[in-house]
Amino acid sequence: MSKYEYIPEAKLVKGNHDFASITHLVTDVNLRRTPTMWYLLMLPANGLLLLLLGSIGYLFWEGTGIWGLTNPVGWGWAIINFVWWVGIGHAGTLISAILFLFRQDWRTAINRFAEAMTIFAVMCALIFPAIHVGRIWVIYWVFPIPNQMVMWPNFNSPLLWDVFAVSTYFTVSLLFWYVGLVPDLATLRDKATDKIRQIGYGLFSLGWNGSSRHWWNYEKAYMILAGLATPLVLSVHTIVSFDFAVSVIPGWHTTIFPPYFVAGAIFSGFAMVLTLMIITREVYGMKDIMTDDHMEKMNIIIMVTGSMVGFAYLMEFFIAWYSGVEYEKAIFILRATGPYAWAYWIMMGCNVISPQFFWSKKLRTNVKFTFFISIVVNIGMWFERFVITVSSLATDYLPSSWDYYSPTIWDVITYVGTFGLFGTMFLLFLRFLPMIAIAEIKAVMPQADPHNYDNNGKYIPPKEKIQSYVKIINSTDNISIEQDNEKITIQDEPKSKTLEPAFFVKPKNA
Amino acid sequence: MSHQPTITDNLQLSADSKLPQILFGIGIIGLLISAYGYFADANQFFFSYLVSFTFFTGIAIASVFMVMFHHITKSKWGVVIRRIPETFGANLGVWAFFAIPILLGIHNLYHWSHEDAVAADKILKGKSAYLNTPFFIIRQILYFVIWGFVGHKLYKASIDMDITGDWGISSLMRRISAPAIPLFGLSIAFASFDWLMSLDPHWFSTMFGVYFFAISFQSFWAVMILMVFFLQRNGYLKNTIGKVHVYDMGAWLFAFTVFYAYIAFAQFLLIYYANLPEETLWFYHRLEGSWKFIAYGLLLLRFTLPFLVLLNREQKHDRKILTYVSILVLIMHFLEIYWIAMPTLSAHGIHFSWIDFSTLIGLGGIFFGMFFQRFKQNSMIPEKDPKLGACLEKSYHQ
Repeated sequence: MSKYEYIPEAKLVKGNHDFASITHLVTDVNLRRTPTMWYLLMLPANGLLLLLLGSIGYLFWEGTGIWGLTNPVGWGWAIINFVWWVGIGHAGTLISAILFLFRQDWRTAINRFAEAMTIFAVMCALIFPAIHVGRIWVIYWVFPIPNQMVMWPNFNSPLLWDVFAVSTYFTVSLLFWYVGLVPDLATLRDKATDKIRQIGYGLFSLGWNGSSRHWWNYEKAYMILAGLATPLVLSVHTIVSFDFAVSVIPGWHTTIFPPYFVAGAIFSGFAMVLTLMIITREVYGMKDIMTDDHMEKMNIIIMVTGSMVGFAYLMEFFIAWYSGVEYEKAIFILRATGPYAWAYWIMMGCNVISPQFFWSKKLRTNVKFTFFISIVVNIGMWFERFVITVSSLATDYLPSSWDYYSPTIWDVITYVGTFGLFGTMFLLFLRFLPMIAIAEIKAVMPQADPHNYDNNGKYIPPKEKIQSYVKIINSTDNISIEQDNEKITIQDEPKSKTLEPAFFVKPKNA
Repeated sequence: MSHQPTITDNLQLSADSKLPQILFGIGIIGLLISAYGYFADANQFFFSYLVSFTFFTGIAIASVFMVMFHHITKSKWGVVIRRIPETFGANLGVWAFFAIPILLGIHNLYHWSHEDAVAADKILKGKSAYLNTPFFIIRQILYFVIWGFVGHKLYKASIDMDITGDWGISSLMRRISAPAIPLFGLSIAFASFDWLMSLDPHWFSTMFGVYFFAISFQSFWAVMILMVFFLQRNGYLKNTIGKVHVYDMGAWLFAFTVFYAYIAFAQFLLIYYANLPEETLWFYHRLEGSWKFIAYGLLLLRFTLPFLVLLNREQKHDRKILTYVSILVLIMHFLEIYWIAMPTLSAHGIHFSWIDFSTLIGLGGIFFGMFFQRFKQNSMIPEKDPKLGACLEKSYHQ
């Protein structure tokens, strides 16, 4: 009948699950014996973590001279890695807070998991500003602590705002994550058979017993935290962008930086969630919950945010030319053709071109391809920060001081080491905490609908319920409809008559 | 299945409503008076016209954007109000004719259009590949071709679904929306550069396109809220658009109030902080003399007050509060565009002219006249939309 096919929305939980089977599926991961594979993965993760600790130790001993920093490139890998990890840390709270406010039910399959990733990513990020200061023993000076010397941090500096923004973000994300965990921890407590788990999970589930009063408080707390976290998601990367944009360095000072950085952060964060999700759901058999439809939706977000980043690149480029400012023009030409052109084109290819493949439905539903792109995107986003930081500094106002910046082995080791920290934390999370928000995923299942058992216990999903209600058989002037198995043909009716009983009944002369 | 949603409202705006004629009448009178203003003070006329034109065009573009977002996200909540932005968007093609006075007044409006001025100015010479009269005209045509085409397509698809009841059309709508969103993003950015940013041809800001999008979208929600209340006051859609839908619109107005403040403040802060002469001059003019009253007024009345008032959940669906806030937002939106454009004409301070208001009323009459003219031709909601049931079923939770 139609040239175009109507695609009803897919079910959020695939397979023939009920509440009990979902609980079992998720909690079994935490309650069964630790698989050998987990130890095998923990080994390299811990190895890298030790490497990180070692390189930090050497840094404290020797000073920042071990890094590749030069004059004028005073900001190198440390800031790049910081921005990169913080950017990745945006997806979790976006999924749990913003998508919650938008009532996007599909978020329930991935929010727990993404929030955990956020917290660990922010931990990795926080390492860099903390260790880069040189005199590590006075790191507490970054906080405005009253002291007898009346020494204060510079309140005009976005670097100080960063301290507040990132630490607030970390705190709220952690709280948000924990509040969401409480009902599920209680589930684990109740399912656990050994004393240690019962006490451990029992302690952190705060005496949750699922009473309606508990749920009422929980919903309120969750809503308030979502409301608080939403501006934080935007503010963190906005302030990170201020670190660059308030300066007068060509290529850094441009007004589109705040939303552009936020879009880039969401872009890389979603890519990281996808990378982890695709592996995890395979290993733990969670494909019924983290379905291909979730992957497709996330791919669309990657495509949108990637295009927004592309839009910002274009604006920067155009305005650099339009501004007529010599240095501004020069830096953009130097980025594309100068000593760091290779990094620039990696950035362009990975960030702007690669997500465009997701216009194709075939590609964005292809698991292997998605996995590939999710890694490509994060490589691209690392290079974006590299291009911004290094190219603007290495080729600044004075050509006489231009120099090629290269990292040292310690830069590389510290960066690679952060994967150890991230991997260790993530493996611990997978082992000990429910990786899916059990209570929330149940709420989006058809069984949670109070009308679910209306038809003598035979379930009809809500969407199809409406579909069977309105079935249009042909589309001539007189519309025939089938309502509750009763065929009705409607003759021409006057336009302005009040229509009973339903919304679809309005004949119309074509 | 007694709990199924039903519509008991009349979905057709009365065919013998005289509203479009009245609005057209007001519009024509307003424009005729403005035409007199052209002979009295041509510069003033063109600037006033530009302000009013961008005011309404921004709202129409935001409408199409909203419809596209709606399709692409498969939203359910807004089905009952979707026909309103669809109708605004469908008029964009015809609305292009009202861009012609800007082309006629290009020499009055834009310093860069004078070839002798460009020849004497090194910076303008550098920009002349973009800022020149033929390319400016080509761009205007291009924008309106894109906007008019997409607006028309989406409207037509929606009406087709009304007629045929073919749910497959929702796939078509998504197929139109997806590629149109990036096109709109780019065309809005460049249109804002053309209309407003290039009034001061030395000034530049990469954020300006996003900024124009933000102010337009905030005022778009104000228009939506007022339009829905206007229809309901006249007895239309009273049971169809419920508390929950009003709440959603209130929430959107709140969200875009914050988004607007975020974008506008970030743009200001970065320019203020870096303090580069080529950029700060623009804000310098707008924070001096009586212009500063609008600048601080925007902070207080376009962000702070609506933000505080709409923060409370109960107030996001309070009809009285929403009406006042929406009117306030629209007044501030007009003043903001005024504040962007007019210092080019009168740098010393605010100098309201009667032409400012006659063009606003004139274009407004035509804009809303065209809206109601089209709105009464079809049903006021997309009545066979597959998600209409879910939209009507939505209930307001305490």
